[in-house]
Order: sequence, then C-alpha cells, then structure tokens
Amino acid sequence: MLRIFLSILLLGFLVPPAIRAQGNYEIQVYGADTIAPNSTMVELHSNYTALGQRYVIDGIYPTYHQEHETLEITQGVTDWMEVGFYIFTSEQNGHGAQWVGDHIRPRVRVPDKWHWPVGVSISTEIGYQRPVYSLDTWTWEIRPIIDKTIKRWYFAFNPALERTLHGPDVHQGLGFAPGAKVGYDFTKKISGGVEYYADYGGFAQFDSFHYQQQQFFAVTDLNVSPAWEINIGVGVGVTGSTDHLLIKGILGRHFDWKKKSPVD
Amino acid sequence: MVTRREFLKTCAIGASVGGYARGREATAPDYTIDIAPYSLEFSHRREIKTIAYNGQVPGPLLRFQEGKLVTININNKTDIPEVVHWHGMFLGSSVDGAMEEGTPMIAPGGASQISFIPQPAGFRWYHTHTFAGHNLNRGQYTGQHGFLWIEPRENPARYDAEFFLALHDWRGQLLGSGDGSMNPSYDVSTVNGRVLGFGAPLRVKAGQRMLLHILNSSATDCHWIALAGHQFTVVALDGNRVPNPAAVPMLSIAPAERVSAIVELNNPGVWVLGEVRKHIKQAGMGIVVEYANKSGEPQWQQPETLTWDYLKFADTGTDVSGSNKALEIPLVFKSKFTGHGDMDHWTINGKSYPNTEIIGLKEGERYRLQFRNESTDHHPLHLHRHTFELRQMGDRKTRGIMKDVVLVPSNTPVDVEFTANHPGSTLFHCHQQDHMDMGFMLLFRYI
Repeated sequence: MLRIFLSILLLGFLVPPAIRAQGNYEIQVYGADTIAPNSTMVELHSNYTALGQRYVIDGIYPTYHQEHETLEITQGVTDWMEVGFYIFTSEQNGHGAQWVGDHIRPRVRVPDKWHWPVGVSISTEIGYQRPVYSLDTWTWEIRPIIDKTIKRWYFAFNPALERTLHGPDVHQGLGFAPGAKVGYDFTKKISGGVEYYADYGGFAQFDSFHYQQQQFFAVTDLNVSPAWEINIGVGVGVTGSTDHLLIKGILGRHFDWKKKSPVD
Repeated sequence: MVTRREFLKTCAIGASVGGYARGREATAPDYTIDIAPYSLEFSHRREIKTIAYNGQVPGPLLRFQEGKLVTININNKTDIPEVVHWHGMFLGSSVDGAMEEGTPMIAPGGASQISFIPQPAGFRWYHTHTFAGHNLNRGQYTGQHGFLWIEPRENPARYDAEFFLALHDWRGQLLGSGDGSMNPSYDVSTVNGRVLGFGAPLRVKAGQRMLLHILNSSATDCHWIALAGHQFTVVALDGNRVPNPAAVPMLSIAPAERVSAIVELNNPGVWVLGEVRKHIKQAGMGIVVEYANKSGEPQWQQPETLTWDYLKFADTGTDVSGSNKALEIPLVFKSKFTGHGDMDHWTINGKSYPNTEIIGLKEGERYRLQFRNESTDHHPLHLHRHTFELRQMGDRKTRGIMKDVVLVPSNTPVDVEFTANHPGSTLFHCHQQDHMDMGFMLLFRYI
C-alpha cells in the first residue's frame, strides 16, 4: 500500500499536468555566429540521463538511463544564413536503439558589416518526434540568439519560444524555453562555464515552479582547433519535472568544401 | 602595470601645459598642416567621418629638398592630443613625432611649429602616432597620413608620369579570428581615399614609363597589388633604391611600407590596378589606369597566387656572408592571450611596453637586430630615425636592401643591421596599430 502511495506521489511529483517529455536530445546554448558558406559543421550530441523519469507515462518511454545520440548537420548558405538538420536517436535497455525524429532549423544572423555591439541571430526549428518519446509529435520553435564576448568572458542568451503543432499541448499556445550561458576563458584552449536550460510552460501563464523544467550544467569548451568543437558538461535538474542528472557531450567537426585560394 | 594609454596620457598632459612652440618666435612656415575632423566621401554619397590633414585623404604631398631646412606649422583642431610622425627620416627625437621618444604631443586646439633638415632623400611619409586601443576610429585607423617626397640628387629611374598612391582600410571592427583572438576587420578599402571606380583614373599615354610610389597606410593589414596587363619593376623599397631592380607581377606592401616601381605602359587599354585578394578588391581597393584615347570597362586579370620576395631586389654581386662585426641584439616576439573577446597582448623578450627593456646604443657602432617571431602573426617592424639593411630572411643571407620597415613572417628568423649614427631616443615597434597599442614597442637610447 505504501509502495503504491509513494509511486503515485512520485508520479505526481515528476510529471507536469500536460505530461511534457523532456527533450535532452540537443542540449546546447547557441552562439550568434553562423556557419560560413561552402562549409558544413557535423556535430554529434551525446546525452545520457543518469537520473530521470523512471516510469512509462501515457506510453512515453522513461528518460532514466536513456542514451541519446543526435546527429546535427549544419550547412552554411550565405555569410549570414545556415540550415541545420537533426537526426535524433535513443538507446535504452529494453527498447534498443531507436529513431526518435528529425528537425530542420534555418537560421539567419545580423551581418558583421552592420557593426552591432552584440551578436544577434534568429533560428526557427520545426520537426517531428515519435509519440513514444513525446506526445507532442510536431513542434515548432523560434529562437532569438544574443551573444557577446568581452575579454575572457562569454555571454549568450536564447529566449526561445515553442509551439506544439500536433499533440496535447497544441492549445497551450507559445511556450517559453530560455537558455543561457556564461563562459570564461581559462586559457586559449580551455573555457569553462555554466549553461542554463528551462521550460517555463505556456507563455501566457507559466507553470508553477514545480512543473517547470530548470537545469544547470557545468560545462567546459575545448578550443583545440578552429576545425573542431568540443563541449562537455554535467547538469542537474532543480525542479520536480526536470531530469535530475545528465551528462552531455558535443563533438563537432567543421568541413570546408571550397578549396582555399590565397587570393580569396 | 602602466599601459601605453596611461603613459601617453601622462605625457600628453605635460606637453599641453608646456606648449611646444610657445615662447618661440614663429617663422613663416613652408607648410601648414591642420589636423581636423573630416567627412571622406569614399564612394558616391557614402561618407566616413574621420580625422584628416588639411581636409583631404591622403594629406597633401609635401616635397622637400634634401638638406634644406623646412619649417612646418601643425594645428590640432581635434579634441584629442595629436602628434605627427615623419616616417623614414633622420630627425631628432624631439621632432620625430613619437611621444615615447620625447616629441611633445600637441594639445587639443593647440599648435606647434617645427623645423628640421630633411634627410635622407626618397619616398617618406607622415602620419599620426597616437594610441587607438579598442577605438578603431583613432590613430592610424583615421585618415591621418600623407606622402613626403624628399627630392634626391638623382632619381632612381627615368620616368614620364609619376603617381603617389596610398592604400588604406576603413570602418574597422574587432572580430574573432582563426587565431582565437579579436583582430580588426574592415568594410571599406581604398586607394587615395576612394573605392575602385569612384576616384579619377590615372591617365597615361602609351609608350610612357610610369613611376608609382605606393604607400600602405593601413593600420593593420598587408596588401598585394597588381596592375592588369602590366608588370612592375621595383626600383625602391621604403624610399631607398634597391641594388637590383627587378620585374614582378605584383607588389606586397605591409603596413607602413612603401614601394616605388616603374611600369612600362606598353599595353593600351583601360585597366584596373587593385588588390589581388578578391574580398579586399570587392571592398573597394583599386584604381583605374586609363590610356589616352582608350575607353570601355576597366579590365582586371585575376592572379591565382600571391608572390613576393624581398631578396629578389638584393645585391647579387657582393659576399652576402660578409660581416660588419655588428653587435647582436636578439629580440623575441610573443603574443599573450587575454581572452577570445580581446586583442592579444605582445611581448618583446618577455615584456610589454612600457615595461620593455631600454637598450643602450653607442654612437658609430654597428648593430644586428635578430628578430625571432614566435607568434602566429606576421609583423611589420619599424625602427624610427634610422635605416637598416636586410641581412637574413629565413635561412637566406642577403645584402644591400635598405629599409625602415620589414615584414617578419611567423617563425622565420630575420636579421637586420644598422649603424647607430643618429643619437637620441629611438622607438622600435610593430607598425600594426593593434600590436603597438598592446605592448609591441621598445626604446633604444644612445649612451
């Protein structure tokens, strides 16, 4: 009896009213820069939920001990526009390796020649995810991106707005899911910092704190080469609706397709 | 630590109180230079607000007779202390135009009268020598530059037409770059203050020999220049005749360097003289060369490589390994990372100006500066008040090329020699404004 009671209590503690599944596929605060034309960035996002949702709820697989591998391919179109494409996968005991969904994300930025004091870009992302991973199967996001580097410090803010196109949250309207990052260059190659990810729920009326998702990651960026991107972090969720412990890594490789000419 | 900005500020206050020319009876000047704000129309209805000399960019061409005293009035009509450096000349430290050597700054609204005996003959230039730091609308980033021609007894080559051209970059901003730090990047590049197609063309005639004196007055960037359909025969570097004039398809000119070259006008047409690198030419760096009785669209022939070698113009007839028993002064250059959101700081032998070592010189002694550039950048190094001779580039020894600026590539040993024959404080620095502002300077002092 006690076990049933505790289970019901735990379910009530972990699951928000709309039963939103936490993404955990691409955990990244965007910088304002875009990929240069004639070049491609290939990133592998590896995220492991060490402590998360343990129960199948409304047919959604639990996040506990899920390993997410996301392939992100971003192609530079102009010196102010790129398009990103995502393939989400999940691996978990009992469920094996599964395809989760795909997203596409065009992004434009303020060109350098405008001489803005901060980097600014805006991306929009639309895509599908299978209902066993999220009841909201079609979603859309618009993400303003603002960043600034001052001496050794780096600041980025992504006040993203989300909209469910198909699923239980379709009537919720715009949701507010900001991300932010503060970084510090310890050396030319090693930076460290904190990343913050949240989902406050409906923009018109935020969920109570308990049902919001709030995560803080301690991260390090290794700037070993302009061709490589390496980001490693450990994150903790601080609300009842957030997975409590995640480990994330991003390994990116930049490919330049145009043969470099000294006169370009 | 005292920064260059703080050091200059302290000195500037002293100078403005002292008033350099006050108390002296003014004589009629040969030239007057007004330093004042100016709107440069670099393209049709497109302007840059800058600071210039006598309301023009470049400033007026000043012609001096070698050895004949000249007097110049300088009026500072800006709201910041200014100073004019007479680049490539053998002047006393008090008039050379570097606060660090002891030349007084001219206070905002102030005036100064200076007199000097111009030498050596050749293509020199004058420009501001102030701190800019993170403000890319100050110092050498502005339009404060002009040509100096000190008439030689004998010209380096016979010519029919002569043109002075200044290469400059504008509207800079600090952007992150491949080396992990912030570097200036520019929106607009000009020849004589105009983008390609906006300024008047160089009008020439077939059969003429055209002498070009080209100055790179850019605050930070090297430039490669070609003239479609023609070659250059380089006759002088930094205003000094080269021992071996040679034909080349393009010129490489580092900040503060000058190249004088003859062009045989034997290919009638309308041609473009411009930057070889496409993005800089696209930013405007070019000028039209128009033969008489020819018209049509200016033609450009895009080179596919960048080629340049100082030693092509070196003395080939003497023993390059010959030594003048010069005293060796090793100078090691390194960058210091201060964040991905900042410019690198610079050290010479481990220290940044004004904390760099002051090196003593004995009058009459020969010195060999051994440049060891342990950074990833190339550096246009300038020695004030003296001319030096290139002695080694990489593993190649050389003789006969006299310069006052040399581009020292990354991790390439370069040696130069000079004779200490102009007593007085002598500044040595990288001529990239962002590098000198961030510590890449030191002083030589005669003892």
